[in-house]
Amino acid sequence: MTTKAQPLTPPQVAEFLRQVALTRDQEADCGTCLQHIGEFAEKKLTGTELDAALLSIEHHLSLCPECTEEYEALKKILEAHQ
Amino acid sequence: MTTQEINWVEALRSANQKEQADAMNLLRGVLLQGLCIALGDRADVSEAHLEDFAQEGLLRILDKLDQFQGRSLFTTWAQSVALNTAFSELRRKRWKDVSLDALMEQGGHLAEPSILPDDALGSHEDQSHLLSAMRKAIAEELTPKQRAAIMAELGGMPFDQVCSLLGTSRNAGYKLLHDARRALKRHLEEAGITGYDIQLAFTT
Repeated sequence: MTTKAQPLTPPQVAEFLRQVALTRDQEADCGTCLQHIGEFAEKKLTGTELDAALLSIEHHLSLCPECTEEYEALKKILEAHQ
Repeated sequence: MTTQEINWVEALRSANQKEQADAMNLLRGVLLQGLCIALGDRADVSEAHLEDFAQEGLLRILDKLDQFQGRSLFTTWAQSVALNTAFSELRRKRWKDVSLDALMEQGGHLAEPSILPDDALGSHEDQSHLLSAMRKAIAEELTPKQRAAIMAELGGMPFDQVCSLLGTSRNAGYKLLHDARRALKRHLEEAGITGYDIQLAFTT
């Protein structure tokens, strides 16, 4: 990152607005996500219905690129072992 | 969780050093195999890195073992902890030269028209009105830290690194951003702009 601020690009602005629009009063944080991501990944892989706690993980993933990156990696491992 | 897995977790907690060492070796091998699958094709990850990540992940798993609730397979949970450890380290290395001062200065510009212009999404009146309202909300509602965190994230900086620079944990950093998004959304709603209006602005 340079010191001079660059104008946000249209995709960056759209992402910013998307995150604000999706914001809920109560959201799972990264720690909660990490605690449940294994169960979430297994259920997604088998097509099992998600309960409220896991739906909140799905919502967190829609807002957190880091947790999504880790989820995608975990999914890759689980798929390789299927 | 299978009986075999229950025995494995018990062995990791065992006071019998031989039994615990065997369980740790077995788990290290499983973690290494998973990390190879997940990260093996990355140019910035060597075999030595994978070994280090497996070892660091193993230690973190032992530290967090009481947090395993048995809601997934033990190996799935363990892999998620090892991946979190590995990705955190990779992100830290990639962005280690960015300073807090640079981060805060960048954030200070977020409410400026030159950074968030009215026509960023097009020339439609609703889009311009939304972005103008958003700048006002940013200026009135957000703290310097919140602006810096948003700007850094939009610029592609990993959240772990943003948190590290701001001196917060990842959970506290997420709360910082969540509070910021909630304040912006509430401010816009008070100005008559709903979440649906916001979505329309960037999908049309």
